[in-house]
Amino acid sequence: MGWGCSCSARFQGAAVLAIAVLAVVCGCYAVASETSHALLDRPPRVLILYPYDERIAVTTAAGEALRSRLLEATDGKIDLFSEFLDLSRFPEADHVTSMGRYLAEKYAARRPDVVVALGKESASFISMNRGRIAPGARIVAAGFGNSTAENIDLPDDVIGAFTTFDILKTAEMARKLQPNARYLFIIGGSSDFDRGWLATARADLDEFSKSYETTYLEDLTIEEFVERASHVPSDSIILALTVFKDRAGRNFIPREAIKLIAATASAPVYGPYQTYIDDGIVGGNTVTFDTLGRTVGNLVVDVIAGRPVSDIQAPQTNIVDSRQLRRWGLAEGNLPPGTVQMHKEKSLWEEHWLAVTVALGVVLMQAGVIAALLLERRRRQDAESMSRLHLLEAVHLNQSATAGALSSSIAHELNQPLSAIRNNAEAASQLLRSGNPDLELIQQILLDIQEDDQRAGDIIGRMRGLLKKRREIDWQEFDLNDITSSAIHIIHGEAERRGITLNTNQPTTELPVRADKVHVQQVVLNLATNAMDAMMDADCARRILTFVTGIAKERAELCVVDTGNGISEERLSSIFEPFYTTKKAGTGLGLSIARAIVETYGGTISAHNRPEGGAIFRVVLPLVRREERGS
Amino acid sequence: MKPVVHIVDDDESYRTATARLLSAYGVKVEAYESGDQFLACLPSCEPGCVLLDLQMPGQSGLQIQRRLCELAPLLPIVFLTGEGDIKAGVDAMKAGAQDFLEKPSSVAVLMETVERALAQYERRRAEHERLQELRTLMASLSAREAEVFGLIIRGQLNKQIAYALGISERTVKVHRHQVMEKLGAKSFAEVVSIAADIGLDRGRSALSE
Repeated sequence: MGWGCSCSARFQGAAVLAIAVLAVVCGCYAVASETSHALLDRPPRVLILYPYDERIAVTTAAGEALRSRLLEATDGKIDLFSEFLDLSRFPEADHVTSMGRYLAEKYAARRPDVVVALGKESASFISMNRGRIAPGARIVAAGFGNSTAENIDLPDDVIGAFTTFDILKTAEMARKLQPNARYLFIIGGSSDFDRGWLATARADLDEFSKSYETTYLEDLTIEEFVERASHVPSDSIILALTVFKDRAGRNFIPREAIKLIAATASAPVYGPYQTYIDDGIVGGNTVTFDTLGRTVGNLVVDVIAGRPVSDIQAPQTNIVDSRQLRRWGLAEGNLPPGTVQMHKEKSLWEEHWLAVTVALGVVLMQAGVIAALLLERRRRQDAESMSRLHLLEAVHLNQSATAGALSSSIAHELNQPLSAIRNNAEAASQLLRSGNPDLELIQQILLDIQEDDQRAGDIIGRMRGLLKKRREIDWQEFDLNDITSSAIHIIHGEAERRGITLNTNQPTTELPVRADKVHVQQVVLNLATNAMDAMMDADCARRILTFVTGIAKERAELCVVDTGNGISEERLSSIFEPFYTTKKAGTGLGLSIARAIVETYGGTISAHNRPEGGAIFRVVLPLVRREERGS
Repeated sequence: MKPVVHIVDDDESYRTATARLLSAYGVKVEAYESGDQFLACLPSCEPGCVLLDLQMPGQSGLQIQRRLCELAPLLPIVFLTGEGDIKAGVDAMKAGAQDFLEKPSSVAVLMETVERALAQYERRRAEHERLQELRTLMASLSAREAEVFGLIIRGQLNKQIAYALGISERTVKVHRHQVMEKLGAKSFAEVVSIAADIGLDRGRSALSE
């Protein structure tokens, strides 16, 4: 869309980017000043004349901007009329005359108060027909240059909103965008208008072009234009004026000619028309449709209000195509202030900064929380593994202490098979020295030696578990009853030495549990040695240590029962606390470690007094379920 | 009659092995699994010595020793012990234990200990027999002779004895001669020594025996 865009070939020469020169025939003197519409008791009537048909976006875009400005300014209290003169396709005088007559009849009952003529054709038309169509109306002409208006000698009372296309301002914008450019190329066609433009440009750029190696590309065919533009050095500025006609006489819509050239150009192309923007040029200094529409609208509002008005210039704007800036790698920061960027893809930030900020904040917070949680998790894991390690250390120390306490009785126990082995061996060798050795006896002796050796090995094997240091829990499934019998094996020597009788119920059912066997054995040995100590301190006739295993509430239970003095009530509560001890040489860690072990395997440990005297320590561990065992 | 070594130990393999070893060296051995079993067999036991385990379930070694002192005072007791339990050792020695044998011990130490114990038994038995003999001789003294014996060993002169018993000094001399004759003593010092052996001394009266 643009002035002249999609215009048919017929009117190209004239249409023209509007701006071309227009001779307004005027003759009619306006008497508008006498009729102050501000005093009207009805909404003011404004007729907008479009030079072409309603399909030509050039004028309709400006017209739409004008309409909306007027509606906005009058709060809708305005009668707007639009007429499309279609003068490009029907430029014949007959048509113009009949159109004038037709409009004169059409508006006979509703004479417009203000006529806005867009483009030079409209200005000429209304200048000729104002007396018939809108006598007494103020005329506002817009859409062409100041110089044009002078050339066509508009009637004095016609107010103009003029548009000037200044190639120098476009060139300066190009210089800002390409501060390092060394070459300047100016493209212009071969039509009169094109040549006029080239002459104007030469004059306007006289000073500017001295900083560059300047070439005017003119008198070329369209192919030559394209060819030349595609081989300019990359540090060039190309200014495109208009190409209505090439050297070969072919007619063009300048927008399309420039589009061809810009498509393959080897340097950025600039031009002073908004219509060029979509077609491959970087940008230029121009009057936008919107600006024009609003400027004219303001003018009309002033006219309606009866305020004094005079000719004005529609403000110019630098506009650029952001896509082209990207294409050529031109910095947005170099744009002159106030430059309008077309086709700018708003960044996500610009479009949704609030949402983005919130989302980013949420994400950051989330990330922070996640990081904190991860850190926490890591620290917890570290702490857990440290605590497990410490538990294992403590368990090991406790094991060593237990082993130490039992060492003399275990040494004694180990002594038995060793002594037997020795005596058997000596007996055998003595027998062999005799004249007639009893070989059968010697055979029996050797068998006994093997048996005793096995026995010593078993004792050592049981001790090894107690002394072995572990870095990790060795999970295994076992029968809690095995632990009891192995504990009895280990302590029976000690119990014998102290005159303690060991008892156990005859276990009837298997008690499968899952834990570290050595750890659980440790708990049982701890409880057993405690019980034995308690009975040594006590002054009791019979010293009996009983192990009872069974199932209680679907969990495996092991009770260690003694016949000592029991535990005093105030001690019962703190007996599992670390460093709590009643023994002179105790560390006070045994029972706290026992509790830590049992709880590690999901169990509980508790202490009670028996009514008949003595204490019961009860260890409860979860049973391994049948289905779990199957898997 | 050969002396017998009685082994009392609850640990069967040690008991058996030690019995085999001693047998291989020609020593007669009987083995018992507990003190009670040994005490039960005691009346029919051949004499010799006892190897007694200090640590046993049921009656401990020390308890058995106490009973043995009453029932068979002549039997020397050798304690078998796995470790140096000083308190138990002292108690045992006070109660008259002959010796200690540490487990395990070499065959030389075992044999030496056993032989020493058996020799001890021999000595005790000889001493015991001699005392029995003396007691028999003492029993052969008449009442008056016993009275005189009791006063002689307290170092009283014939004159004092005569006065104490209300008999003549000459009669005292005759009784004195009879006592020495019956006891087979050749001197006054020998009579005093016999009195000491059978447990009579100047503090006690022969009459009160």
